Amino acid sequence: MKTGQGSVWAWRIGILLVFLAAWEYLTGIKAISKTPGLYWIDPFFISRPSAIARRFAYLMSDNVRLPLWRMALSTVQSTLWGFLVGITSGFVAGLLLGRSDRIARVFDPFIVAFNSLPRIALVPLITMVFGFGLLAKIVLAWSIVFFIVFFNTFQGARSVDADLISSARFLGANEGQILRTVIVPSTLAWTFASLTPSISFALIGVVVGEFIGGESGGGLGYLIIQSLGTLNAADMMVALFVLGAIGIVMALGIRQIEVRLLRWRPEYQKR
Amino acid sequence: MSRVRIAIRDLSKTFSQGSREVPAVSGVSFDVHDREFVAVVGPSGCGKSTILNMIGSLIAPTGGEILVDGARVGARPAPQIGYVFQKDTVFPWRTVERNIALGLEYRGVARAEVGARVREAIKLAGLEGFEEAFPATLSGGMRQRVALMRSLVVNPEILLMDEPFGALDTHTKLNLHAELLALWGTRQQTVVFVTHDLSEAITLADRIVVMTRRPGRIKLLYDVKLPRPRDVIGLRESAEYLREYGEIWHALGEEFQERAS
Repeated sequence: MKTGQGSVWAWRIGILLVFLAAWEYLTGIKAISKTPGLYWIDPFFISRPSAIARRFAYLMSDNVRLPLWRMALSTVQSTLWGFLVGITSGFVAGLLLGRSDRIARVFDPFIVAFNSLPRIALVPLITMVFGFGLLAKIVLAWSIVFFIVFFNTFQGARSVDADLISSARFLGANEGQILRTVIVPSTLAWTFASLTPSISFALIGVVVGEFIGGESGGGLGYLIIQSLGTLNAADMMVALFVLGAIGIVMALGIRQIEVRLLRWRPEYQKR
Repeated sequence: MSRVRIAIRDLSKTFSQGSREVPAVSGVSFDVHDREFVAVVGPSGCGKSTILNMIGSLIAPTGGEILVDGARVGARPAPQIGYVFQKDTVFPWRTVERNIALGLEYRGVARAEVGARVREAIKLAGLEGFEEAFPATLSGGMRQRVALMRSLVVNPEILLMDEPFGALDTHTKLNLHAELLALWGTRQQTVVFVTHDLSEAITLADRIVVMTRRPGRIKLLYDVKLPRPRDVIGLRESAEYLREYGEIWHALGEEFQERAS
């Protein structure tokens, strides 16, 4: 197993290096033409690894007004807030509606309607109401995460095994104890399964918010839009690479938490 | 005879399936006395589990009544009743130890006492070394042992068991019969045990309620005269066991034949 892991990693790194080398090399070949500065593959559009690395170092430095790391931090901060508020409210709402047929029936059409609305369409409205700062981005991330968690939790709350509830009752549990020891843990298993997609979607929501949020909102989405304005492919690539790295780290972190919390499930048992 | 713990009077249950009325249990009456081990046997679909569910307040009867210690059974199970399901109802997110502790936690028993009683139960069930294990890592027999100990650790005076060993292989089943009899020998709960396995019923019970096929009525009330303590394996070769098995089998066989014709 261990040696297999090693060779898998060797392949991965190899592929990455070949890709970067090809990118660097191909964007360096000049076209044979009388027009100077014409490339077969023009780095103006997709930049080159060396240029991206230089811009990365420059943007990280204190020579710029808003350093890259502060933008990244702002994006991470908004994402985590939107994620936390989203999973908490989604869980509570899902549990409430999942365990009460009456409330579920009343709210059903509203939920379906709001969920089928493309969330991106809400960006201008959210910006208008919550301004250009952190809050608008959190609200946007929340509006996506909430529904992912809500629907999962709702399903989970509906599928709590009635025999487990009866067993608890025979063991002397009152309604509060049944909620705490049967319904919540059983539902949480479903909620946890929605955490990984939730963090990714929270990031999407935040970046879209930053596209429109302007400099006061900061963040990597702002860097992307700014680079579009100045036609600076290298800066845009820097933002994309950093976003990718943030996405991976957050997804891995959530995965660790999920494995820890769901260690009782057969599929998480170490064999 | 000792006092009546469970009195079942003219009990009926009809299920509605759309516009169709399906009678499951019809006019069943019998008593279960204190410290008595009663088994209910019958062909599948005869309503034996339905009777147990009505004693445990899981479903409401459509006719007749059930009295537990003189009080009519209502919407919530009487507190002196423990219940072991056929299905695996061990909480998968709790370790063995914490599953067995459930009933004590619900009743607000002090932490130190919970620990002592759980340890004792784990020892009795031969689950030492698995205290911290999650149910997903256990075999079916071990999970059912956990479920049994979880019910017994709160000392229920009346224990209802719905084919608790139905899903287990013969070997595991015999081991659990021996363990159940040993446990019952020390505490002498009043037990109602539902099964479709006649040899299981004879091995365990003092008295057997034999049901007809659907709608379930009582076909026969049979007193098992095998002496206690019983050796669950040796028992099967004794002449008395074979004679009693033959008598009940004859009554049950009539039910199977009627279905076939």
